[in-house]
Amino acid sequence: MRVLVVEDEAVLRDTLKARLVDSGFTVDVAQDGEEAVFAGLEYPLDVAIVDLGLPKLPGLEVIRRLRAARKTYPILILTARDNWQDKVEGLQAGADDYVAKPFHFEEVLARLHALLRRAGGWASPELKCGPILLDTRTQTVKVSGAAVELTTFEYRILEHLMLRAGDVISKTELTERLYDQDFERDSNVIEVLVGRLRRKLDPQDDLKPIETLRGRGYRFALARDQATNTPG
Amino acid sequence: MHSLSRRLLVSVSVPLALFFGVMMYVLDTGFRALSDRTLQELLDSQMVALVAAAEPQPNGGYAPPLHDIDPRLARPRSGLFAQIRSPKHEWRSPSTAGTAIDFGPLLKQGERSFAYTEIGHDRAAIESRGLQFEDEPQGTKSLTFSVAVSLSPYEEQLWRFRRRMLGSFSGLMLLLLLTLAALLRWVLAPVRRLEREIHEVEEGRSEILGDGYPRELSGVARNLNALLVGERKRVARYRDTLGNLAHGLKTPLAVMQSTLTNESAVISASTFGAEIDRMRDIIAHQLKRAAASGGALLGQAPVDVTQLAVDLRLALLKVYASKDLSIELAIERESQFIGDRGDFTELLGNLVDNACKWCRSRVRVTVRIDPQAEARARLSLIVEDDGPGISEEDRARVLQRGVRTDESVPGHGLGLAMVRDTVDLYGGTLAIDSSPLGGARFSLTLPGR
Repeated sequence: MRVLVVEDEAVLRDTLKARLVDSGFTVDVAQDGEEAVFAGLEYPLDVAIVDLGLPKLPGLEVIRRLRAARKTYPILILTARDNWQDKVEGLQAGADDYVAKPFHFEEVLARLHALLRRAGGWASPELKCGPILLDTRTQTVKVSGAAVELTTFEYRILEHLMLRAGDVISKTELTERLYDQDFERDSNVIEVLVGRLRRKLDPQDDLKPIETLRGRGYRFALARDQATNTPG
Repeated sequence: MHSLSRRLLVSVSVPLALFFGVMMYVLDTGFRALSDRTLQELLDSQMVALVAAAEPQPNGGYAPPLHDIDPRLARPRSGLFAQIRSPKHEWRSPSTAGTAIDFGPLLKQGERSFAYTEIGHDRAAIESRGLQFEDEPQGTKSLTFSVAVSLSPYEEQLWRFRRRMLGSFSGLMLLLLLTLAALLRWVLAPVRRLEREIHEVEEGRSEILGDGYPRELSGVARNLNALLVGERKRVARYRDTLGNLAHGLKTPLAVMQSTLTNESAVISASTFGAEIDRMRDIIAHQLKRAAASGGALLGQAPVDVTQLAVDLRLALLKVYASKDLSIELAIERESQFIGDRGDFTELLGNLVDNACKWCRSRVRVTVRIDPQAEARARLSLIVEDDGPGISEEDRARVLQRGVRTDESVPGHGLGLAMVRDTVDLYGGTLAIDSSPLGGARFSLTLPGR
């Protein structure tokens, strides 16, 4: 999952970035409103964290511009001004949730996961498609009740595919959202990882959870078990 | 011109003086016309008497016998003079003795003249007539009769009149102005009292302004009092907040400091994390409390409840998108909250957020205006949900005043403590019971219309 962190306080920005990377995110950062708008428009993001008090361009304005440019990924507001008037304004501008400063990182992480889930149309933190169950809180995967050990990248790919179960996701998109920009995109790492995932999830090769659509990408093919929300 | 009394006195005395001036001019003109006529009548009657009394004299001239004429003509310097003149003869009344008077030239038959002349330092009016006596043995005689009257008595009378008029008018005007000044003093007494009382408040000798102001000022006094009380409350609240902040922050600081300086103690992230959390909660709670303006102060536009609730509903639906909930708004049209917009947003935000957090799927917000109720309780706000509700024990704790952050009910903590404080600030009421929906119901009364 690729996240943009917009925060002018360097220490906070670095800490957030480090901990998000630890939690399996690909992280872009911006330190002021203008950088934020640029990054928000140019990068293939899954979610953004925007501090409201920013130099050059206020956070609210950043959010309005991104929404005006039809960017639909979820946006989480960080604000030190913890009052309802600001929260309501932020949400009206197009943000999806807020966290008041000072915050626990776990809180931010939980909100991010919730937003991503909602964007994918999932209501609960447990994504269940047939026998496959992925818990976004513990980042664990079970098949028919038995735990499956996955590497970080394998987990990330599966999470990405399952969050948008039913949608076709291109290889480029997966690469962009799982790695930093400098990653060599032509490599076949994604193919290798998907292959390994298939073997781990479906050793008998009877579930066929991940479809390959030649030239277009991958699709998580198992139907969702949950009642789904409309995205967004 | 910075005194109201002076302004009023000046603006009244100018037209008053003008009025009296015109009055005096009119009266003076009338008086002079009267005195001119009197003078004319005197001259005419003396002339008639003189002409009637004139008799031919052996020397060929004419003169009246002295016993026939006005005695004033016989008394020197009496102020009344006469002359009978023909080309060859001249008779002057004895009163002219020692006085040089020019009675003017001879007149022809039928001619008349009227003139003013100087007699010494006085002025005199002279009337002359040319007449012919025909029944004379010597033949026709052309005679000029003149009568002169000194104007001094008239002028003296005029000046006396003017002096009296001026005296009484000035006296009258002074009296009017004095009365007006006294009236003003009486009328403006409440204003002076207001000023004095404000001064006393400024100097700290008095808490608020007293009652009993006249209707025109009672509003000002009441609003000032509201401002004073609000300001005092605010200052008290800030002082409280600072005290609580200092107290609250020092404890976790002390814990951290002692951990750092105690070599045998294990410095762990969790110790510090817990203390930092405590500090964070204390800051959040205390600052929020202090930030509530709590003023039915002046200059605040009423808050449109509907718009605010609609915005808040949309925002919260977004925040709780993963929860399948509905927020029903039942808000009386054009309901308005009288007070600070931020305060009301916080209040409603905290209550509805709390309801969304605890509900299973339904939250209902009801706002009604009760025109019969007291001004500060006119708006009734009910927020209810279908969640587990709040136990009797916890209700009491939420409502209890002066409960500190770290003592308040977990989960219902900060937000509700803030709601309670804000309601208190506005002099409203807060009650918690069970909702027909199944969960908790918060019923508030607040200033509104």
